[in-house]
Amino acid sequence: MSLRDKYEAVIGLEVHAQLLTESKMFCGCKNAYGAPPNSQICPVCTGQPGTLPVINQFAVELGVRAALAIKAEIHQESIFARKNYFYPDLPKGYQISQYERPFCTQGKITIGLSDGSEKEIGITRIHFEEDAGKNIHKGDHTQVDLNRAGVPLIEIVSEPDMRTAEEAGQYLRTLRTLLRYANVTDGDMEKGNFRCDANISIRPRGQKEFGTKVELKNINSFKFVEKAVDYEIDRQIRATETGEAIVQQTRGWNSAKNVSEVMREKEDAHDYRYFAEPDLPPLVLSDKWIDEIKSELPELPDQKKARFESEYGLSGYDAGVLTASRDLANYYEGVAGASKDAKTSANWVMNELLGRLNAAGKDIVETPVSAKNLADLISKVQSGAISGKIAKTVFEEMFATSKTAESIIEAQGLKQISDPSALEPVVRKVMEANPGQVAGYKAGKVKLLGFFVGQVMKETKGQANPGLVNDIVKKLLDS
Amino acid sequence: MSESVKLDRDEVLKIARLARLELDDAEVALFQDRLGRVLEYVRELNQVKTEKGASVKHVPRDAVSIREDRAIEFVDREALLSNAPAQIEDHFLVPTVIEQS
Repeated sequence: MSLRDKYEAVIGLEVHAQLLTESKMFCGCKNAYGAPPNSQICPVCTGQPGTLPVINQFAVELGVRAALAIKAEIHQESIFARKNYFYPDLPKGYQISQYERPFCTQGKITIGLSDGSEKEIGITRIHFEEDAGKNIHKGDHTQVDLNRAGVPLIEIVSEPDMRTAEEAGQYLRTLRTLLRYANVTDGDMEKGNFRCDANISIRPRGQKEFGTKVELKNINSFKFVEKAVDYEIDRQIRATETGEAIVQQTRGWNSAKNVSEVMREKEDAHDYRYFAEPDLPPLVLSDKWIDEIKSELPELPDQKKARFESEYGLSGYDAGVLTASRDLANYYEGVAGASKDAKTSANWVMNELLGRLNAAGKDIVETPVSAKNLADLISKVQSGAISGKIAKTVFEEMFATSKTAESIIEAQGLKQISDPSALEPVVRKVMEANPGQVAGYKAGKVKLLGFFVGQVMKETKGQANPGLVNDIVKKLLDS
Repeated sequence: MSESVKLDRDEVLKIARLARLELDDAEVALFQDRLGRVLEYVRELNQVKTEKGASVKHVPRDAVSIREDRAIEFVDREALLSNAPAQIEDHFLVPTVIEQS
C-alpha cells in the first residue's frame, strides 16, 4: 500500500477575483491595470483623513452575478467590516471587507474529472472587499504604488471538499470559466486579477477529524496549481511518517524551485480585530434588483453546453470542448452559423484550428483565421469548389497568412477540376501508361479501380473531383 | 469611580506590536495605566441602558452610500504624494519592508 493510499488530503481554496468595473470599490478612481504609478489615486483610496467610502453599485451587481452563477444564497442585508492591520500597501490601516455577515453563502459548483466522473464542491461564502496597493522592494527601500488600492474584489471561499490536486485544479478552472462567462472578472492570473490560496491538511483515511492545516499562498498560475498542492500533500505525508508534527503555518509556493517554503509571518496576522464599518450602512439588496440581475445574466457554460448538444446535434464531449470559454463558443457559433453545417464546423474548429492554436501558444481571440473565413472554406468544400484534402492545405496557408480561402485558391490555382472534358484525357493517359493494370481490371480485379483513381489524383495534384474521377475511370475501363 | 483596571505588560506589548510601535519599559508602564483607563471608560458606557434605542453601529440606512460605476479622475495627485513624508519615482517611499516570500 502506498503512502498516498494511507492518507487522505483535505483541501479548501480561497480565491480573490478582481471585478470588471470601470472605477474602484469605494471611490471614483479608475480600475485599470498597468497605468503609471499612483496615477489612479484620490483622497479616499489613499486614506486621507475626513474622507468617506461610497459603494460602487456595479461592483455589487457583479458580486450578485457571481453568487447567481454558483447557485448560492444571496442575503438581502449584509454588513461591511474593517479588517485592521498595518502594512504600507494599506493606507487606511484597515481593509474594508465583509466578515460576520457576507452577502452570499452556500453556493456550489460541479467539476469534471479525468476519469469521467463529476463532483460537487461546496462554496461557503462570497464577500466583497477592496484590494491593497503594491509594495515594490528595491534593496535599501520599499516604494508603494496605490493604483490597485481600493480595486473591488470578491473573495470566494470553498468548503474543504477537495481531496486531490486534480480536484483543486479543476475547481479553480471551473470557477474561473464560470466567472468569466458571467463577465464578473477577466480571471487573469498572470496579472494578479485572479489569485488563489489553498488550505491543505492530511488525515489517515477513515479518520473524521481534520488534520492541522497549512495555508499555501502564491499559487499564481494555472500551470502549477496541481504541482503546488501535490507537493504540499507529499510534504505533509513525509513529515507525518517520520514522526514530525505538522505545524499550522503559512507557506508560499516557489515556482522556480518547485517547493513550498515557510513564509515569514506577519506578526499576529490573524489578530485583525474586525468590527462593523461605521462609515457604511448595511448593504441592502432588494429582491427586485436581484431578479433584474438574474434576468440579464449571460448564458452560463452548462446552459450553453446543453444548447450546443440540442441545437447543433453535437456530442457531449464536443459541446464541452467548444464551450470551454465564451470566446471559443462564440467563434464556433460564428462558423456554424455562416457555413450552415454544425458538425463539420465543429470538426474543423476542434481538429484543425485548436491544435494549431495550442501549438502556437495562442488563444482563440488571437486566431489568424476569422470565423467567417473558416466558414467560407467549409462552404467551398461543400460546393465542390475544392476537395477536402486541398482544403487542409488551404487552411494551413490561411493560418499562416490570415488570407481568405478564395485568394489562396485563386493564387495557387487549387480549384477543383470538376469538368469531365478536362479529366477524361488524364484518365486515358493513366490507362495508356499502365496496360498491365488495365488488363488485370478487365480480368476481374475490380479493386484496381482505386489504383487508377489514385494515379489520376496524383497527376492532377489532388485537384480533381474524386467522385467524378471515379465515375470516369469506371466508364472508360468498362467500355 | 469604579475600581481601576490595569493591563498586564504582555497585553500592552501585544497591542504595541499590532500598532507597529516600539515601547520602552517606562512607556509600557504608562500604557498599562492609560489603556486601563480606556477600558474603564468603556465599562462605564456599558452600564447605559440601550435596549430601547436604535442601533448606532452604522450610519443611517438612508444615507447616500451607493454610486454609479463611473471613473472620475482626481487631478491633484501631487498633493497626495506630498502628504507623505517621502517620495521616490512617483511612489510613496517607506522603510524597507521585509516581504514574506
